[in-house]
Amino acid sequence: MNVVVTPTMLGQVIISGLLAGALYAVVALGLGLIFGVMRVINVAHGTILMLGAYVTFWWFQLLGINPYLSLLASMPLMFLLGALLQRGLVRRVVGAPELSSLLLTFGISIALVNVAQWQFTSDLRSVEYLTGSFIVGPFAFSKSRTIACAFAVAIAALAAWFLRRTKLGKAIRATSQNSEVALVCGVDVPRVHLYTFGLASALAAAGGSLVAVMVAIQPEMGGVYTFKSFLVIVLGGAGNFAGALLGGLLLGLVEQLSSLFLTTQVSEAVAYVLLVLVLLLRPTGLLGGRAS
Amino acid sequence: MGGHLLEVRDVTKRFGGVTAVSRCSLSLAPGTIYGLIGPNGSGKTTLFNCITGVLERDAGEIYFKGERIDGLKPSQVARRGVRRTFQVIRVFPELTALENLLVVSDAPYEAARRRAEELLRFVTLDRLQDEYGGNLSYGQQKLLEFARLLMTDPELILLDEPAAGVNPTLLAELLAHLKQFPAQGKTVLIVEHNMKVIMGLCETVFVLDHGEMIAQGPPEEIQGNAQVIEAYFGRH
Amino acid sequence: MRRAFPALLGLALVLLALYPLVASGYGVRFMLQLFMWVALAQSWNLISGLTGYVSFGHVAFFGTGTYVAAILITKAAWHWGPASVAGGVGAAILALIIGWPCLRLKGPYFAIAMLGLSEVMRVLVSYFEGLTGGGSGISLPTLYASTQIYYAMFLAACAVTGAAYFIITSRFGLRLMTIREDEVAAEAMGIDTARYKLYAFLLSAFAPGVVGGLFARDQGYIEPVAVFPLLITITMIVMTLFGGKGTIWGPVLGAASLFVVEELVWARFLYLHQLLFGAIIVLVVLAMPRGVLGVLQQRYRLPRTI
Repeated sequence: MNVVVTPTMLGQVIISGLLAGALYAVVALGLGLIFGVMRVINVAHGTILMLGAYVTFWWFQLLGINPYLSLLASMPLMFLLGALLQRGLVRRVVGAPELSSLLLTFGISIALVNVAQWQFTSDLRSVEYLTGSFIVGPFAFSKSRTIACAFAVAIAALAAWFLRRTKLGKAIRATSQNSEVALVCGVDVPRVHLYTFGLASALAAAGGSLVAVMVAIQPEMGGVYTFKSFLVIVLGGAGNFAGALLGGLLLGLVEQLSSLFLTTQVSEAVAYVLLVLVLLLRPTGLLGGRAS
Repeated sequence: MGGHLLEVRDVTKRFGGVTAVSRCSLSLAPGTIYGLIGPNGSGKTTLFNCITGVLERDAGEIYFKGERIDGLKPSQVARRGVRRTFQVIRVFPELTALENLLVVSDAPYEAARRRAEELLRFVTLDRLQDEYGGNLSYGQQKLLEFARLLMTDPELILLDEPAAGVNPTLLAELLAHLKQFPAQGKTVLIVEHNMKVIMGLCETVFVLDHGEMIAQGPPEEIQGNAQVIEAYFGRH
Repeated sequence: MRRAFPALLGLALVLLALYPLVASGYGVRFMLQLFMWVALAQSWNLISGLTGYVSFGHVAFFGTGTYVAAILITKAAWHWGPASVAGGVGAAILALIIGWPCLRLKGPYFAIAMLGLSEVMRVLVSYFEGLTGGGSGISLPTLYASTQIYYAMFLAACAVTGAAYFIITSRFGLRLMTIREDEVAAEAMGIDTARYKLYAFLLSAFAPGVVGGLFARDQGYIEPVAVFPLLITITMIVMTLFGGKGTIWGPVLGAASLFVVEELVWARFLYLHQLLFGAIIVLVVLAMPRGVLGVLQQRYRLPRTI
């Protein structure tokens, strides 16, 4: 396959990669929070993203207003769902072997996907709101992708502010570093777990709402995002905020670059190979962070 | 190597910015009991982990019977005759007491089974041989762990805080067993906070502080050593 | 009761062997699929039930088996018997390639790596169109061999269950379990966990490959979407979890009971049955993590041979 790569193409691809990467980073941040605080791998993370996407779809379908405003609905709704799931189910396996939480969230994910299939059907949905691109010089930036990136960055900044500046945020970070010490220092660990799961779900929902404007929505769309979020965490190191950012950008770049030479489907295989390679060579992530 | 069973030379281990073990050296002769003491966080368990292959040291070498063992996997180190216990009891909970011992040995099934039963009798756990490891009491698990240690007749035994949480009767029993080891040609290195155990058992004691070996010698000498006293009571 | 068990088992096997002589076509096909699920669930048990390393992508081995066999049947005119065995071998090779790097990862990382595997296989199969027919799949020459495939699946189910018996009652099996219990301690006891995990993984990939090949022959047509779906992995997992992971008859019980319920009840409500699978997984993990037989084993001090 001979592809002539011009600097313009390269620049375009790099920028597209960074735009997509920001979105991956925000979603992965959620997964990383759950893992860092509770040592739980939330296989249902992508499923919650999918539900967020559906909220946006129905928002636009029924209300006809700007779908980006649906973030105000999807994030709180999924926060609640996440909190409920944690309180009702996930809480019971936090101390158990990791196998249990994996299987539990896997079961939850299946159940939720099928509720979605049952209620929303498997028909592909889309939100036709923004098409076309911004043209800046020789580059064309897809409008929806650029705006998604902007929102992603804003939400990530908000999350960062929350984690660093608020009491609850600090409690979350403390628990993520050492839950026993946090407990001894008077941190209400169960409450921290509850809010972490809720917050992470809200982040996933944000991701879902943002991609809803860009891709086809269907009940099984979440799985690939769970996988990619995990890849981002592995690339950037778990429990590491800057790492999630870096990991997300890296993933976005790698995907876009490989799409120059390979079909999009095969670039998924590339992501997979990347994951396995990083896990083997540098299990603590490229930036270090917690070794599990 | 001059007849040393274990030789640790200038081993260093860092975790990020923290140096847990710094240029540590020690030599162990066959058929002797040694102690390793030091305040909490002085690097004793890290040193154990480097010797047994759980951690990869950053610098230095470790020799067992003249052969370099640093860089080997824990299972490989174990197979060469180095066995250990952990600070937390690590008995296999869903295996029976007998099975806990069986998995350790490579001998043919019947021979391994006989040895396992013999060892269980030795630690008076034979009537519990079909009980799940997780159902045993703390003291019984300690004994099981001890028996498991002996399944392959190891030459070097590393004990990480064997007296922790153990009642005086059981402790006396364990110590009595340990005292037999030098005569059997076994060498033991014990990490302990219980000074009575160390003083009563060990021929030589090593002292670690902040990852450095600050003293080594017979127990009486160590007791009077100013640096050692300061390490425990002084700057901390 | 315990002494009667081998006799009862022998009787059951004889009855099953004679079944096709008296059963309807539907009955034969029903049992044929049941045997397939027993083989699949039992295989998942060998890796995930014993070592605790959750394989979320196990359908990749099944799908690989279907394709290897289908290609050999259509392009090299192999008989479906040897072709299915070749499917098993192909699956085992895949397990070696993936397992050797991935089993070195800690449990959760391994699980996620496996999650991606089946998707990647589906993508690869679609990509190499020349060999695999890509998205259009492969059509096998028409052949009515339900009864023969019944016996082949029966044999596969018996073989895997027999393998489970020999493994679980041996020291090899005990060592696999120590990996599940406490991998660090197992290593300290001299058990080369990496090697043991790999052996278990290879063993667990073989039977899915074989029954995959048989499935391909039975269906007469395969395509990527049909043979790599997450649902097959989900079903394997539910069956083993429900029946009792880490036991010998647990997967058999789980496969038999859930398949029967699925065929008779749930297949009418398409989404309901997957939803129920998810719910069962959640319930089993929370309330009955050892599964039906696991609970009985603990409660009544049954031997490992259960």
